[in-house]
Amino acid sequence: MFRTTQSEEALCMTVSEDEVRRVAALIRLEVHEEEIPSFQRHFNDILTQFHSLERLDVTGVDPFAMDEVRKTLLRDDIPGTWNLRDEALDAAPVREGDFFRVPRILGEAE
Amino acid sequence: MTCSYTPVIGLEIHVQLATATKLFCACPTGYIGAVPNSNVCPVCLGLPGTLPVPNARAVEFTLRTALALGCSVQRGTRFHRKNYFYPDLPKAYQISQYDLPLGLGGSLDVRTDGDVHRIRITRVHMEEDAGKLVHACGDGRLSGADHSLADYNRAGIPLMEIVSEPDIRTPREAREYVAELRRLVRCLDVSDGDMESGSLRVDANISVKCSDGRWGSKVEIKNMNSLRALERALDFEIVRQTAVLEKGETVFQETRHWDDVSGHTRSSRSKEEAHDYRYFPDPDLPPLFFEESWVTSIAATLPELPWMRRERYASTFGLSGDDVGVFLEDRCLAEYFDALVGAGVTPSRAANWIRTEVLRVLNEVGGGMVAFPVAAAELASLLAAVERRELSVTAAREVFDAMHKEHLSFEKASRRCGIASGNLGENALKDLLRSVLEENADVVEEIRSGGDVKGKKIRFLQGLVMRKARGQANPESVLQLLEDMLRGEQ
Amino acid sequence: MELWQLPAWRITEAVVRGELSVSEVVETHLARLRTHNPEIFALLTVTEKEALRRAAELDERHARGEEPGLLAGVPVVLKDNMCTRGVRTTCGSRMLENWIPPYDASVVTSLEAAGAVILGKANMDEFAMGSSTEHSAFGFTANPWDLSRVPGGSSGGSAAAVAAGFAPLALGSDTGGSIRQPAAFCGVHGLKPTYGLVSRYGLVAFASSLDQIGPFARDVGDLALALDAIAAPDPKDATCGTEPRPRYLDAMMTDSLRGRRIGLVKEFSGFDVDPELRNTLVHAARVCQDAGAELVDISLPVTIGFGLACYYILAPAEASSNLARYDGVRYGLRAEGDTLLEQYFRTRGAGFGKEVKRRILTGTYVLSSGYYDAYYLTAQKVRRRIVQEFAQVFSGVDAILLPTSPCLPFRRGELVDDPIRMYLTDVFTLPVNLAGLPGLSLCTGYAKNGLPLSVQLVGKAWSEQQLLGTAAVLESRFGTPRIAPLETKTHFKGGERL
Repeated sequence: MFRTTQSEEALCMTVSEDEVRRVAALIRLEVHEEEIPSFQRHFNDILTQFHSLERLDVTGVDPFAMDEVRKTLLRDDIPGTWNLRDEALDAAPVREGDFFRVPRILGEAE
Repeated sequence: MTCSYTPVIGLEIHVQLATATKLFCACPTGYIGAVPNSNVCPVCLGLPGTLPVPNARAVEFTLRTALALGCSVQRGTRFHRKNYFYPDLPKAYQISQYDLPLGLGGSLDVRTDGDVHRIRITRVHMEEDAGKLVHACGDGRLSGADHSLADYNRAGIPLMEIVSEPDIRTPREAREYVAELRRLVRCLDVSDGDMESGSLRVDANISVKCSDGRWGSKVEIKNMNSLRALERALDFEIVRQTAVLEKGETVFQETRHWDDVSGHTRSSRSKEEAHDYRYFPDPDLPPLFFEESWVTSIAATLPELPWMRRERYASTFGLSGDDVGVFLEDRCLAEYFDALVGAGVTPSRAANWIRTEVLRVLNEVGGGMVAFPVAAAELASLLAAVERRELSVTAAREVFDAMHKEHLSFEKASRRCGIASGNLGENALKDLLRSVLEENADVVEEIRSGGDVKGKKIRFLQGLVMRKARGQANPESVLQLLEDMLRGEQ
Repeated sequence: MELWQLPAWRITEAVVRGELSVSEVVETHLARLRTHNPEIFALLTVTEKEALRRAAELDERHARGEEPGLLAGVPVVLKDNMCTRGVRTTCGSRMLENWIPPYDASVVTSLEAAGAVILGKANMDEFAMGSSTEHSAFGFTANPWDLSRVPGGSSGGSAAAVAAGFAPLALGSDTGGSIRQPAAFCGVHGLKPTYGLVSRYGLVAFASSLDQIGPFARDVGDLALALDAIAAPDPKDATCGTEPRPRYLDAMMTDSLRGRRIGLVKEFSGFDVDPELRNTLVHAARVCQDAGAELVDISLPVTIGFGLACYYILAPAEASSNLARYDGVRYGLRAEGDTLLEQYFRTRGAGFGKEVKRRILTGTYVLSSGYYDAYYLTAQKVRRRIVQEFAQVFSGVDAILLPTSPCLPFRRGELVDDPIRMYLTDVFTLPVNLAGLPGLSLCTGYAKNGLPLSVQLVGKAWSEQQLLGTAAVLESRFGTPRIAPLETKTHFKGGERL
């Protein structure tokens, strides 16, 4: 449940090619080997920009402070039926009867 | 080297909330048996551009449960996104809660064999359910399936997750913890709490501690679909993990599935890397701020909780453990019992009558206490008559039958059965007459062969019947019946 | 004056008075579209049949005496990331190239209820990520003022459509400047409302806590009219405020700025801002002063100094999560794979363009385990500081005047391979999204080379009425923007479709 706080180390690091590959895998994005260096450069450009934020003092700042309390919008528990489900199923890239079909699940989550 | 092994068990329970609609859209929640993908809308399908809006009743139900468990309610509770890829997850993230759940802390006392153990509750939070996958291959299992089919009817159903600290010490205790939680959610009317149909799901985390200080890794157990399966699975795991540690090996930290058929837990596909869910607060959902008055009113209007009821029934009414058990499983039944006692019926008679007669009717007719047609006040009148010895138990049963079969009040039903207040029913009377006739066969013979011109003999029989009926019969009716019977028409 | 030169408020007035039929209005605009869209490529999809059918229907209803709506007969163009039922909605991406939504965005329902007629869907940077519309998977939209230059982005198509006279009104979306910057580049007005003023239901999400839908127009009155039609509470959007909205058209009554305090930002002077843009800002400040406003020097060091870096952590983070649903299972592109995993990788590899991939990767990285605290959480704290800084400044001023963009529209291809330099063009717009405030880009005139000039007005949250009023006063002095003279263009054409 608790993330390791590697703030100090993280800010000094530049992103390696392996990191790019790891992130691409995590987000299920096919990235070709030739593209890796340019993505890596971009990562580092962004993070360099970001490192400038080190100069800013953010101690004691609560990022999710709720001083602007909005009236919470909740929904009444009243059913409604959507009768365009056929249009949704028609949009399925591969449909099998009333289902959305996917190929063999191998090495995936849960 | 021998040492003693102590199990350390924590349970994560997912409860499907009995709301009318899903957590973030207005789709109805009755998805069981529905045509696949018929109970969906753009929101729960996660179509581009759609947004979630929380169901107020789901929030209320979770709040009710959290308060009943003694949790502290988090002001400004937030939803987080739990990001991962799987075809049953339409948005590729589940809207759940992370570090600001609705309820924190709390506890549940568990009774096993007279021993009471307090299990601490870590948190109570809300999240949405995922869809269902059907795997296309012979046994419907994932491995070896050529392809899979996704059905999103269940996607977005509101779930409440209750996480316990690893305070549970035995499989028996685990079972009783779940049983008590199940009683609670049913008592609060927030869920069916049915493990078989999936409205209550249990995942266990179990490790084994050795008295020499060694500690096995925590193993997650899934797929236990009944209380019995839970207990069996944990029993199995304790044996398995203990054996591993005794060999001096390490218990592998993993997720295992319970196979009820073989009676084993099996290692599920081991993943090279643990999930990185990249939790962050869902920007589509502002934090929830509850009016203090709303929370207070929910707390004030909680029904009598199972443990409070258990205490009251055992100590105030002296009911047996069995009786208490029956009533705790069905709040309506318990309330019926309370109504009977409130109307003056003695607790033991009320409990007895419910467990015999009322349950018999419910089993025959179905529909549960909600559909039971005999008002407690009416049944109380019946039982009061029995108590006053105005009605025999046999007669009472007759009247009761008329009451529930024909939806009659006690008064109407008694008249229907020919029993004026305090009289025997027709059948009971006939039985009585028959027994008198049997015992006095010679007199019967005499009357039948015409030897009772003045009617003295029949009056003699009438007297016998009246004595046997202890006054619970109408003399004229008895005479009439005797005449009919002697003539052979009855 | 040609029909297609009329502002929306004049069209609707004429339609209501029976002087113009909706069919006439729509046909005229469609004709202009047909003639000039090939070279501008502002619209990806033109819904000609539907528009004419709807125009006929509206005329029939008016004839029957039915109450006409606020936008009766007004042709509108929608950025292609707003869901239109039955009409393809691509978000400028291969991923959704053939996706037809089965539902309408709330703003679409509002527009149609107001009597508007949708002409089609506008080209955009893919999934709203970009500042030039060069990242569209379907081709380049040319700036109507100079076809070799970009129209800005990501709502380049919407801005160009209004600048070219295809429609008097268009809707775009703004996450870091995507309405205001193209408005500036195309010489039209563009408004990004306060976060939560307009419903996001049906807007394909890029960064949920920053996205807002807003109008483009050639007349401040039209901006107000559009806002009156689309700004409303929506039970389908939990981030849409439930407060009642004022009548924005009332803001057009403003003719003096007496009592208003306009803040001038000190910090931008350190930036490399085009001299003509500086001049127009000075000019605008003077106009405000002449109209009775008090000019106040204000300082936004945190905002100007750290806004960009903060944005480029938070926006991609949210985007990486919002775009995870594109996996070829339920809709959109599917690239075949033997296994589910292959399908995921190949679909997302083929469906997304380079800029989108860049942002998804950065966004995933800053949320991932071990980096969340250092990057995402820190960026949220910086955002909080920016919000506080604006709040502090607004205790002393009613509106802030600053440039929309530091530069004039650049040439096609100039910045497309230099993402960071491209990002820098949004330095004055994106902090406004971070703080959730309303921002309006007002066209103030034309540079020596004919390219449009602009200034940006930023107001307090929910102060659109005042903001529009100030803009109206400025417009009365600067004049309303012209339509780009397309007939005289001789530069190469845009719209190379793949």
